[in-house]
Amino acid sequence: MEFLVGSVWAAGLAIGIAAFGCGIGQGLGLSGAMSGISRNPEAAGKIQVNMLIGLAMIESLCIYALVVSLILMYAHPALKGAVAALGAH
Amino acid sequence: MADLEKIVNFVTKTNWILFLATSLIALTAMPQKVYLGVFIGGLIVAVNFHLLKQTVIRNICHERVMEKGSSLVGNLLVKYYIRFAISGAVIFLLISNHIVHPLGLLAGLSVVVASMFIATVIELTRILFKEAV
Repeated sequence: MEFLVGSVWAAGLAIGIAAFGCGIGQGLGLSGAMSGISRNPEAAGKIQVNMLIGLAMIESLCIYALVVSLILMYAHPALKGAVAALGAH
Repeated sequence: MADLEKIVNFVTKTNWILFLATSLIALTAMPQKVYLGVFIGGLIVAVNFHLLKQTVIRNICHERVMEKGSSLVGNLLVKYYIRFAISGAVIFLLISNHIVHPLGLLAGLSVVVASMFIATVIELTRILFKEAV
């Protein structure tokens, strides 16, 4: 039982911490891009391109965390064994 | 500016090429669930990157930022999070119903990161080579 509880805790923490970090990163990136364009409108194109790459990287990190947390809850390699052991008791 | 656009075009092209290559390799050499994971994961991130590119190019420009009374939240962030929520829901359904193999899905989801890594390595090599000459 502790195994299942631990898995759910780990999944929640994984996506929570990842979303926290990614949110802060995206907010900082977007804020910097907006203030950069306001100060120097000619640089909008360059800022656009760099921001696109940055946002895609940050998004990938959050998707990885989501996949890991879903694996922990639904496709954990040791889940079947743990459920069988729980049923035996 | 032209260099930067070239990099983004390179990443976009490499995304599709890597997606096709990994899907073909998985189709021929891996079990069906792994192939499905690679295919669907690659498709999700490649389409996501394409849509993100469109959203950023349309909204992060001088005219839109300086426009009075318009908010970027509606155009950029809401679209961004709707796209992200749809991707999350699709991934949730795929994993919770055991439709795909999780490692295959992770490999598929790495297509965009891999193409960015390749673009970075090529750019770094070019810079180092230029400096050496």
